[in-house]
Amino acid sequence: MVLVKRLLVVLLGSYARRFNRDDKRFLVVVGAFPMILLSLLVSMPVIIVVKSTPIFEHEGIAVFISSVWRAVEGSAEEEFYGLLPAIWGSIYTATIAVVVGGILSICFAVFVEDMVPHRFRDILSTLMDVMAALPTIVYGLWAAAFLAPLLLDYIYKPLHQLLAWTPFFSFPPKTGYTLGTAGVLLGIMITPYAAAMIREAYSSIPLSYVEAIYSLGATKLEAIRLKLGMIKPAILAALVLGFGRAVGETVAVALVVGNSLTLTLSLTSPGITVASLIANMFASAPYYKYMESALFAGGLALFMIGLAVNSIGLLVIKKWEERIGLHM
Amino acid sequence: MELAEFDENTPYAIETVNLNIYYGNKHVVKNVSLRIPRNTVFAIMGPSGSGKSTLLRSFNRLLDFYPEARVEGVVRVLGVNIYDEHVDPTIVRRIVGMVFQIPNPFPHLSIYDNVAIGPKLHGMCKSKQELDELVKWALEKAGLWDEVKDRLHEPATKLSGGQKQRLSIARALALKPKILLMDEPTANLDPVSTTRIEELIVELKKDVTIVLVTHSPRQAARVADYVAFMYMGEIVEVGTANEIFTAPKNPLTEKYLTGVVG
Ligand SMILES: Nc1ncnc2c1ncn2[C@@H]1O[C@H](COP(=O)(O)OP(=O)(O)OP(=O)(O)O)[C@@H](O)[C@H]1O
Ligand SMILES: [Mg+2]
Repeated sequence: MVLVKRLLVVLLGSYARRFNRDDKRFLVVVGAFPMILLSLLVSMPVIIVVKSTPIFEHEGIAVFISSVWRAVEGSAEEEFYGLLPAIWGSIYTATIAVVVGGILSICFAVFVEDMVPHRFRDILSTLMDVMAALPTIVYGLWAAAFLAPLLLDYIYKPLHQLLAWTPFFSFPPKTGYTLGTAGVLLGIMITPYAAAMIREAYSSIPLSYVEAIYSLGATKLEAIRLKLGMIKPAILAALVLGFGRAVGETVAVALVVGNSLTLTLSLTSPGITVASLIANMFASAPYYKYMESALFAGGLALFMIGLAVNSIGLLVIKKWEERIGLHM
Repeated sequence: MELAEFDENTPYAIETVNLNIYYGNKHVVKNVSLRIPRNTVFAIMGPSGSGKSTLLRSFNRLLDFYPEARVEGVVRVLGVNIYDEHVDPTIVRRIVGMVFQIPNPFPHLSIYDNVAIGPKLHGMCKSKQELDELVKWALEKAGLWDEVKDRLHEPATKLSGGQKQRLSIARALALKPKILLMDEPTANLDPVSTTRIEELIVELKKDVTIVLVTHSPRQAARVADYVAFMYMGEIVEVGTANEIFTAPKNPLTEKYLTGVVG
């Protein structure tokens, strides 16, 4: 308590003097919880860095850029872990998710706001809320039983026939458990959140602009395009958040990604993501000297990817908003 | 339908016959029969809520976007009944431009693109050069060219309120409309900007017919050729500006002009 009080006094400085004695006590009590949260937040990267240090001492940066995975029990020096296929898989599936989820959520937002009679709006948006609330394992089970075989039969097989010469469909599809399936599933999973954000921005475009575009003789389609251009920052924000969710999603992906340490562009090939790798391997990690540390290094990679995508996204959004002087 | 169906030589730019407009079952425009002569400034005045904006929005079918609005009767624009079934409202809106009370250039587009957007929508220009010329022409017509010619690609949000309103006018003019509807275009502007827009209105009537909704009798006296006075959905008096301001026939008009009503 004393520590918290000190910290608050330091942080708030002269601002603290505006409070009287009782207020200060209240401030300390209420302020304590955000402080605890803040320190937890700070501790996360610290702990991940500390725990991944052994693997960096053992094999250096190779843990991030190698595809070799050698787990040897009892012979620590032989152990070698390269996370590249998993890191690639995470970025790749999350990118597919952003594309799929972006298209789905933009279509949903436009459909609900501009195409559907008013009374169906509530039904549709409630449906989306329910989708957002479903446990992710339910998505995983659904995808394993339904989405994966569907994509295999109707997308992967025909497209492999046609487009095997492209890197995206080069791998002969044997099961529906592939990087492509994981990406599409993630896209579906981020849609309720992204759609809600995009809808919010879309519906808050002032009527005055909508009337202006129609008064120029625009068709509905042309008006929709202009309105989407107007909320570009909000769309990007939704997609950045969606990327963050997709890159960290674990259990649903683990069920459909195929869990093979393969570095590939092929959507028809099984692969792996960092999160699903950690989920698969964590229980057996204690039998090896370095595996646990390698998995923490995977966590570190995810942390950095998330941070990078968010920072770049925020910068772009800020630039756009400054340019148009509009905050949505 | 074709643009050519509109007859540029009809004596009246807009003619309404027994026009009634409802929002749900609220009757807001009642039995309006008006004739707006070509190449004049026609002012519509009246107290708040009397139905001026609603009437104006029926002239370019903008009421189509108010699901609860219902229009009965005839509105002829250059001879064409625009509520006829075969009429394409997007073509009507090319002929009948509109400027709103709040200056509303699109915030995410540059000054240039705000003017170019209409011509682009309708494929009016075959080359970039032709489009550049049209944009310049519209900005000149709107009296904005000299102020923005060196920063055409800056966002429209960087302009002042009066400049934004002139940009809205340029945006509408770029479509080369025959009629321009203006709904209290100076209500949110300072006196200097207001004067500029009033000068512009007088200048523009050589090429276009202007229907101007205004709350300011002074503004109407300065720019209008004709004035209609609207009260609770009805046009209670129409006449030349001179008649209305010197010898109003209807006591309501007189009361409004002297500040007793509205
Ligand atoms: N979308 C709408 N739904 C229902 N009623 C409406 C709608 N828009 C306007 N009204 C009503 O119709 C009547 C006329 O409104 P309108 O906006 O045409 O008046 P106005 O003369 O332009 O007023 P002001 O001078 O305040 O702009 C008002 O009673 C208003 O409340
Ligand atoms: Mg009005």
